[in-house]
Amino acid sequence: MHLHPIETVKDLYNYLYIAIQLEHATIPPYLTALYSIHPGTNLDAYNLIRVVAVEEMLHLTLAANMLNAVGGTPDLTGEGFVPLYPTYLPDGETDFKVGLEKFSIAAIDTFLNIERPAEIDNSKGRATGLLKVNRKNTSILPSFKTSDGEELHFHSIGEFYSAIAKGLEKLTKELGEKTVFCGDYNKQVTPEYYYSGGGDIIPVHDLESALAAIRLISEQGEGYEGGIYDYEGELSHYYRFQQIKLGKYYHKDDTPGKPSGEDLSIDWNAVYPIQSNPRLEDYPKDSELYKEALVFNEFYKTFLKQLTTAFNGQPSVLLPAVGGMFKIKEMSYKLMRNPIPDKEHVNGAPTFQVDSI
Amino acid sequence: MDMNKEQLNVFLEMSTVLTAFSEYELKGTGQLEAYFNTVVEIVGQGIMDELLNAFAEVKKIANNNEAILNKQLRFQLLSNDKLGPITRNIIKMWFIGSWYQLPNAWRENYGESQKDITFVVSANSFIEGLLWPSIDSHPPGAKAPGYGTWTNKPQITEL
Amino acid sequence: MRHLKRVVTHQTVLEKEYDVVVVGSGISGSIIASELSQKGYKILILEAGPGKDLTLAGYEKYLNHFYTATSKDNNAPYKRNPNAPMPRSVDVKKKEPGKPNTDSYLVQNGPFISDFTYSRVVGGTTMHFESKLPRMLPEDFNILSTYGHGLDWPIQYKDLMPYYRKAEFEMGVSGDVSTQTFSKQKAYADDYVFPMQEMPPSYLDKCVAKDVDGAEVKLAGETYALKIRTFPQGRNGIPNKNYKKFNNGELFTPVGAVSEHQVEEGERCQGNNNCTPICPVQAKYDGRKTLAKALGTGNVDILPQTVASRVVIDPNTGKVDQIIYKSYQELDSEEHTTGTIKAKLFVLAANAVENARLMLASGLNSSSDQMGRNLMDHPYILTWALLPEIAGTTRGTICTSGISDLRNGDFRSKQAAFAVDIHNDGWGWATGGAETNLLNIVDNQNKFGKDLRNELVHQISKQLLLANMVEMMPDPKNRITVDPKYVDRLGNPRPIVTMEIPEYTMEGISFARQLSKSIFQRLGAEDHSKYDPMDYGYLEYKGEGYAIRGGNHLAGTHIMGTNADNSVVDRNQKSWDHKNLYLVGAGSMPTIGTSNTTLTLAALCFMSVDEMVKDLEA
Repeated sequence: MHLHPIETVKDLYNYLYIAIQLEHATIPPYLTALYSIHPGTNLDAYNLIRVVAVEEMLHLTLAANMLNAVGGTPDLTGEGFVPLYPTYLPDGETDFKVGLEKFSIAAIDTFLNIERPAEIDNSKGRATGLLKVNRKNTSILPSFKTSDGEELHFHSIGEFYSAIAKGLEKLTKELGEKTVFCGDYNKQVTPEYYYSGGGDIIPVHDLESALAAIRLISEQGEGYEGGIYDYEGELSHYYRFQQIKLGKYYHKDDTPGKPSGEDLSIDWNAVYPIQSNPRLEDYPKDSELYKEALVFNEFYKTFLKQLTTAFNGQPSVLLPAVGGMFKIKEMSYKLMRNPIPDKEHVNGAPTFQVDSI
Repeated sequence: MDMNKEQLNVFLEMSTVLTAFSEYELKGTGQLEAYFNTVVEIVGQGIMDELLNAFAEVKKIANNNEAILNKQLRFQLLSNDKLGPITRNIIKMWFIGSWYQLPNAWRENYGESQKDITFVVSANSFIEGLLWPSIDSHPPGAKAPGYGTWTNKPQITEL
Repeated sequence: MRHLKRVVTHQTVLEKEYDVVVVGSGISGSIIASELSQKGYKILILEAGPGKDLTLAGYEKYLNHFYTATSKDNNAPYKRNPNAPMPRSVDVKKKEPGKPNTDSYLVQNGPFISDFTYSRVVGGTTMHFESKLPRMLPEDFNILSTYGHGLDWPIQYKDLMPYYRKAEFEMGVSGDVSTQTFSKQKAYADDYVFPMQEMPPSYLDKCVAKDVDGAEVKLAGETYALKIRTFPQGRNGIPNKNYKKFNNGELFTPVGAVSEHQVEEGERCQGNNNCTPICPVQAKYDGRKTLAKALGTGNVDILPQTVASRVVIDPNTGKVDQIIYKSYQELDSEEHTTGTIKAKLFVLAANAVENARLMLASGLNSSSDQMGRNLMDHPYILTWALLPEIAGTTRGTICTSGISDLRNGDFRSKQAAFAVDIHNDGWGWATGGAETNLLNIVDNQNKFGKDLRNELVHQISKQLLLANMVEMMPDPKNRITVDPKYVDRLGNPRPIVTMEIPEYTMEGISFARQLSKSIFQRLGAEDHSKYDPMDYGYLEYKGEGYAIRGGNHLAGTHIMGTNADNSVVDRNQKSWDHKNLYLVGAGSMPTIGTSNTTLTLAALCFMSVDEMVKDLEA
């Protein structure tokens, strides 16, 4: 699938589907790093990553609200929705892959790439933040094709969302707001069913609310206009992760890259030695580890089904779905504490292979 | 501390019989080494050797017959003055995460250790107690199941 | 909830001028600091306990302390602090005849020995309270004139109604107003709802309800039909759409964990079954949430590890001139410095026992001589049984539902009213919890493996504990006193408790016990309740024995009244004797009915703020 600038409502559906896929794609890597930390250690880092993971769930829900608002149908259960890790991100960045890895400097570097701010990189010659890089064949994910057939990739998630914003504005101008935002309002996830301290869920029903949702997602990720904070005054994901890398908390008036706050206590060794990017094939077929990894994948598939149901007119299903996330944590811990039979000091981890079920 | 891998495996296997939880579940608590070490630190390597040898013997006699295994476990370990209280303490650690001070009679006969007091092995051992999954629940103050889940029927099946 | 760092040093405090000094950072002190600071007044809070509680790391230390404590009592999360000690149930002993119990912080004079506790930490006792937040009933305010017991309040229910709403907003009450219908008078406006929807009842509640709902109880000529209903509670749930009209058109926003950094926690209860002693995710309200708001104004400073030691009165004006404090650096060392604090207004918000203790230690008995008297609590009689079915006990919040139908009625002319909690945590309060069952199954029932696991299900998942909370009326003989013989490590006098359970309450206890028997019969449950004569709380009444537990709803020690002869404070909680002194909290309550005291004391504090503003403006 190739993207091109949004011209039609169908294009918009494509973009928003990818947005949901994108937000979801960040969750397994964050959860893997998070749960690989020995409980009770690395509290600073644990809380920082957890907050980001929680906000990605918020972004996922906001993306679903946007798709519902324009009359689309969120679906988290289709083949290929969950990527096989390591993977490129669905919005087209090709200079790094995202994998399932334990809490480590390498993992934090990847997270920084995921959340990196949009930038105008003159050396790459484009003011839109799009990059012209040849995509490797291994990626199953879409790239972006201009009307004259040029293949481009987004440099950052923010740029991807700004393309959606432009598309929404264009279509609204051409077709009228009522026509574009024709979705059933009852399908919106509202704050009764979802809330988190770092930004409320925004029900989307017109251009203004859609742009507000996009703004929240972009700024929670990357910061606001080059600053380290978003417009709600919360530190953006990029700079939260950077604190882990630099070992220091940011203070309110710090400049990017120079946090001046308290030290974080980080112990890179208090981590389960899990297999990176594990696959079911890595576990002996007759082992309990294999069986339980499969149980995990089935559970995760059910979780995605529940989210899909919740996003299609039954928002109250979000309650048991969130309950399911607690179970995902406990199941992850068990997998990560069990060595892979016949391997020295390498433990299992969830594989998130839901398509093979 | 020298934690003989083979001994740890015997300890693990014995624990599966005592708790009726699988090796995967027991390792999944992350507490195997901590419990093994706790026993050794308090009763000494010598008594640990005795205990594990006794279990190995039980296993040999049972020859994969579960009824004989359970009976022999009672004969050789649980009813034994020296090994019984330790075996029961191992059960308790797996289920609630605490070491309980051994009975006075044991302490008089087999030696008192300064470390033999009632204590919670660690915060994680409390959290990982197997009592809670046994009753489809969670320890108070940890592993919460999520908003509103308590209104549903518990998923408990007799073993 | 994010907050500013406002922990200050004594040096800073000396260089600043404050409008108000508040003693205690619990819910009362925090509400007053929050309300006054939003109006621009400069506030200093003195807190006897340490101040690390306002960071997530500090809170996680509490949690860790709880996990690793062998006794998981209400104060288990906190390190022992001899410089500002607190009562712990594990310290309570049966009274020896002829002499008081003196070897723990509370000196207990008897004849009844209570195991009540409170917490001397930032956030106060709300740190461990269960957060059940029922209002008092309209009838409770005129109990003396209606039923001839207790005292009438100097205010009416309707005076408090707007402040109850403020308190329900502040603490984020989840509940269903339509379940709160046991008053004969109109207690809520027709369209009023709580900020959040009711907490879903537990599966255990539903097991009980199916056989108990509709059961009839005859009492003093009236018939009551029992119904299991949820309690209003200060715990984050699902915001109620219909609350918007009471919140400027906005949906209520639940207040999450208190922290200096963003944490995304506590926005909704997860069912940790640990509201008492500590909610691990801060989904439960505690006073620090209000305190964080106060600190956020920039007008509030807090001085932790600073124990108010003496209130000094200016003999010419009768006003408070200053408070003398003792400040310590380390919990493990008695080293401390002494200093003084002045302000325009002084507010004692240290709880019913500590407020009275401080005043009495300062020689201020009040001209009515009521200081420290009328000590009340809710005595609890616990009854416990094993249900015939698996009810999933140990899941949910500590308590979601109970029986409130006998909170009010004409029988109150003869015996105490009571409310019944269904304890989702099982028999813990009575027997020590699931651990006790485990030890018994392993050590005495000689089970292991599958048999052990099946027996755990049988013995724990069917547990039902009813906690019967019984009304207790004010009696001047029940009191807090001090004696220079008994002091803590910093030399501050310790509270001496003299308490007797009145016959009126014992009648209620006895009736509650009978009702439990009848409920257990209906349920086909095995009654396992046992009251050991060696229990410290053991009392006999009309030939039956009962082991009574403290409710930690301490009240009455600086009672509110109509004049300086019958009370310590006026309707605004202002001292009759000292015009720039307020004593706030449940100590001001003349009666406590069958309501857990926190919501009412919070409402009283909101009401008092209006008067404080007048004083400050004058």
